[in-house]
Amino acid sequence: MARVELSGVTKRYGGVEAVAGVDLAIADGEFLTLLGPSGCGKSTTLNLLAGLEDATAGDILFDGRRVNGLGPFQRDVAMVFQQYALYPHMTVAENIGFTLRLQKQPKSDIRRRVGEVAGLLELTPYLDRLPRELSGGQQQRVALGRAVIREPRVFLFDEPFSNLDASLRLRMREEVKVLHQRLGVTSIFVTHDQEEAMSLSDRIAVMRAGRIEQVATPAEIYAHPATQYVARFIGSPPMDMLSGVLASGPVFRAGALAFAMPERLADGAAGRDVVLGVRAEHVQVMPGGSDAVVRVTQPLGPFTNVTVDWEGGSLTARVPGMAVFSPGERVRVRLDPSGVRLFDRDSGRSIPG
Amino acid sequence: MNRGRLGRVGVGAGLAAFVLWTLLPILWLVISSLLRTKALTSRPPDLSAASWTLGNYREVLASGQALGPALLTSAIVSLGTTLIALALGSAAGYALARLSIPGGDRIALLVLATQMFPGIVIVIPLFIVMSRLGLIDTRAGLIVVYLSFVLPVVIWILKGFFEAIPPELEKAAAVDGASAWNTFRLVVLPISWPPLFAAGVFAFIEAWNEFLFAVVLTRLHTKTVPIAISEFAGQYQTKIGEMMAAAVLASLPVVALAIIFRKAILRGFAEGAVKG
Repeated sequence: MARVELSGVTKRYGGVEAVAGVDLAIADGEFLTLLGPSGCGKSTTLNLLAGLEDATAGDILFDGRRVNGLGPFQRDVAMVFQQYALYPHMTVAENIGFTLRLQKQPKSDIRRRVGEVAGLLELTPYLDRLPRELSGGQQQRVALGRAVIREPRVFLFDEPFSNLDASLRLRMREEVKVLHQRLGVTSIFVTHDQEEAMSLSDRIAVMRAGRIEQVATPAEIYAHPATQYVARFIGSPPMDMLSGVLASGPVFRAGALAFAMPERLADGAAGRDVVLGVRAEHVQVMPGGSDAVVRVTQPLGPFTNVTVDWEGGSLTARVPGMAVFSPGERVRVRLDPSGVRLFDRDSGRSIPG
Repeated sequence: MNRGRLGRVGVGAGLAAFVLWTLLPILWLVISSLLRTKALTSRPPDLSAASWTLGNYREVLASGQALGPALLTSAIVSLGTTLIALALGSAAGYALARLSIPGGDRIALLVLATQMFPGIVIVIPLFIVMSRLGLIDTRAGLIVVYLSFVLPVVIWILKGFFEAIPPELEKAAAVDGASAWNTFRLVVLPISWPPLFAAGVFAFIEAWNEFLFAVVLTRLHTKTVPIAISEFAGQYQTKIGEMMAAAVLASLPVVALAIIFRKAILRGFAEGAVKG
């Protein structure tokens, strides 16, 4: 287990800066997720942490000791890959025990340790099979086993579940979380799936174009996204954005509608071009009234997403229960002031208040 | 649907014609080797029951036409060429596929460019070089020359295969603590048998069938099979039947090789990628 720090870490390929001066401190035993779209530098950052690639500039520290230039094995990290990367010609047992075999440990020790890990991951019945004889989920568990047997100081996960179907992904997510709770090893997880990031992490680092846009707990990132970019990336549906003007009152005008704003937002945003961000659960839609017209409803079981339009704006509301509205219906729209965020239109940054 | 069926029939007919086109000379080779010379040279060839004989084969195996020593020489030269081409080719192919060598792409192209010169252009200069090196009429000399045109192709076959191996596999090995050599030996090589077979069979056939260099660069001691066969055509008479029988015998090892490793060869050429 280790405390991991990145300071000014940069990786350039020719003229392209894939990672641009990342500063990040990960506590001992923490589960941190690097979240972002493809090409944002998250996987490169992970490879730099692993020692599979060398940083162009900056320092990587494990427990305060600089590890730049050390290979993955010397850094004592284990990694789980998106494509599983199991050795196709080795059985499950050989795959899991490969690292011990390379260390020339006695065969009996290897067998015992492989047995323990297989038990932990419920792989015991498959030890003699080849990877191609396993399902995707089992293959990914073998990949986990190969990482676990190392008893590493840091676990690195590179989008390990993106090849699995949705239901399997949920189960593997659970298993990784249980594994982390049991072993308590510092874990760094890369994904583009915000739900995965939310459900697994102690903290999330949202990345964009090689930089970290925001690092915070899932709750903080969900409720107080630092930028529009983060707000759009997190949550399903993502935070809705309304362009408009903040007028005295204070009220926020978006096209034909005006919404009363909490006083706290009035000062910081006065006279600026702003964008209002609000999540579906903070939008109320009520029958009767003529604020807006229902465009579409999406019943999802416990609630229904209702999208409404008006002249100059559109929002999605989360309404409890199955659809109670029908398309074309005229409705009243209210915002819950506690859930409203304002962003500067030019910089995209959150306006505190 | 009618068009689909018509298309299939068309493709089938085309393929049949192609197979016939390829196999007809071989069929004729086998037939000629089994006919008495008289029956073979009469017009049209006499295919009646009395014309058939195994005499040509008996003659070839019994006579002093040196097919035996030639088979041995060919086997040594072909196997030597194949093994060295695989050893060097897999290392070079892996390096070109995986290591970031400055100008690696250009090196790879240059390797291929050597294939563009027809053998006849270089055979005379090569003769001079080889005679200076004292390698005329030696097996080692033939192996060196054969490697010069077999190795580039082997490098390219294996390079393409190594490029198709997911890089994660080697990253995983690095994370597991494997050195570059151990990664190659314990992870990459064991999954590379199909392309190694394909490249190996290619190298063997090239060396086994080669005629031009062999005829120029050898004298008495290192006649290969194609040379020995050609010598059935003498100054005063050509023993066609025996020549054909010798040719059939010479083809057998290659045919056997192709049949035994058929699956591996097809997989090696067709399936570039490794499925995890």
